[in-house]
Amino acid sequence: MNTVASIPADNQSSLERVMSYLKGETPQRVACFPLILNHAARILGVPIGEYNRDGKKMGKSHVAAFRRYGNDLILIFSTTSTLAEAMGTKMAFFDEDAPQISEPLLKQHSDLSKVKVPDFSKDGRLPVYMEATEIAVKEVGSEVCVSTVFAGPFTTAAALFPLDLMSRDLIKNKNWVHELLEICTQAGIKFIDEILQRKSLPIIVEPIGSASLVGPIHFKEFVGPYLKRLADHVHENGGGMPAVLHICGKTTPNWKVMLESDFDIWSLDNVDLGQAKAVAGHRVALVGNVTPSNLLKNTPDEVDEEARTICEKMGDKKGFILGSGCEVPINTPPENVDALINAARKYGRFDV
Amino acid sequence: MPRERGEILKDLRDGVLNLDEDLVVRAANETLDAGYDAYDAINDGLVAGMNQAGNLFEKEEYFVPELLICSDAMYAGIEILRPHIKRSDAKEKRRAVIGVMEGDTHDIGKNLVKIMMDAAGIEMYDLGRNVPLASFVEKAKEVNAQLICLSTLMTTTMDGMAGVIEMLKEEGIRDSFKVMIGGGPISASFAKKIGADGCADNASGAVRLANELLAKSSAVRRA
Repeated sequence: MNTVASIPADNQSSLERVMSYLKGETPQRVACFPLILNHAARILGVPIGEYNRDGKKMGKSHVAAFRRYGNDLILIFSTTSTLAEAMGTKMAFFDEDAPQISEPLLKQHSDLSKVKVPDFSKDGRLPVYMEATEIAVKEVGSEVCVSTVFAGPFTTAAALFPLDLMSRDLIKNKNWVHELLEICTQAGIKFIDEILQRKSLPIIVEPIGSASLVGPIHFKEFVGPYLKRLADHVHENGGGMPAVLHICGKTTPNWKVMLESDFDIWSLDNVDLGQAKAVAGHRVALVGNVTPSNLLKNTPDEVDEEARTICEKMGDKKGFILGSGCEVPINTPPENVDALINAARKYGRFDV
Repeated sequence: MPRERGEILKDLRDGVLNLDEDLVVRAANETLDAGYDAYDAINDGLVAGMNQAGNLFEKEEYFVPELLICSDAMYAGIEILRPHIKRSDAKEKRRAVIGVMEGDTHDIGKNLVKIMMDAAGIEMYDLGRNVPLASFVEKAKEVNAQLICLSTLMTTTMDGMAGVIEMLKEEGIRDSFKVMIGGGPISASFAKKIGADGCADNASGAVRLANELLAKSSAVRRA
């Protein structure tokens, strides 16, 4: 199945392919965004713990991963809590895994005055992100779209204050949550400015807005309006760059309200992507959604088969980008990432 | 004159279902003042309301915030009523150990499963998050549990689930426990691959699975 002979050659560079989408032209084939994040460290051969704390290693890892795979999007990323970390949440670091929250900044509601928009030149690991972004843009920015990924306001808020408490506050203490979200939004806007200055594409991830956690009522009040301000900011200052949103897990119940946030591209995870196209395809391009744990555990042939099924669901494939539903697991066998990208070459053709 | 028992039970149910902790607390105190049975009030009132909330969660009408506040209301009522349960009523024999795999600190899914299984009358031993593999085995043996529930959100920690099952095999006690797994990256095929007894997609599904597995458990039949 996966023989080299059966894989048609590309006639566009990664950047040209993505630019075709943005210009409304038809590319040779669908683009492929395996969401390579911490996995990039494996390609350079540095420990995950070093990748996460050293901007040079993070940037070089993504350059190496692009050279190895030919993925159509570079995503500079460490965790969804990086913005919150720069605002004071403490993280635990591991040699061979991504950092995780060890102690949220806020213990009680009265701590709210501690929350400030961070200084991107020194707080937390923001300088690591900035340096990694600069390296990737400088080294391969003429060949591939480079993006830098940060969490949306709702996810950042949930990394500043314990999630189980914040969940209850959506019902019991709404004003307090809105005050927190306001500061997180200002931090997000600053992030966008810093990324745009470095000629990278800001991508917003809002996993805590997943329907695994909140439904349309709370999305509409606490998630959507703040996301819209970020999307608007990209539209107003990005020089034609699209506003891109990734939400992991289940999102189907929230699609209708998600549309109101005015993003141009959605990257979705545990959903029927064909159904998403029917509901939202008139407004957004869709990225997705090979199951991440299958990338880790399945064979290349099984990855190929799953990707083919997704491509078939997408009908005319207009506004479709093949990708992984969420982060490519750190220890994914490289041949499975190859299988995913080759599937775009085989099943995502517009020129035949 | 105290109100009819049925009316008070309805308040307990509705209070939990409608996120109304104040109503639950009033109705729980009223149960005691009227001399009605505390055990029945928990099961036919509070737990019945929590199960209705679980149904709405499964139908995607309730989400995590609603379910957490329903459970707060349920536990507020249980706290008032539990000291008044007659000893002979406490006949619980089904016990489960639950926790989040080592290396993973995401626990909201595990907490929901624990709440719903607790409401289903399974005695829950919660090891928390970032739990060393051996702790699951040790605790299950210590409390004589019949079921071990493993949760993870991350692909980096899912292999730990296979590790727990291996430990049970090495000690020759795999058949003494049912093992169920769940969390974002977990699929039925993964559960089968590692030899787990089943996996569930959400908290309500987890309760159904736990009931099925415990019905099959020889340890429960012996108890």
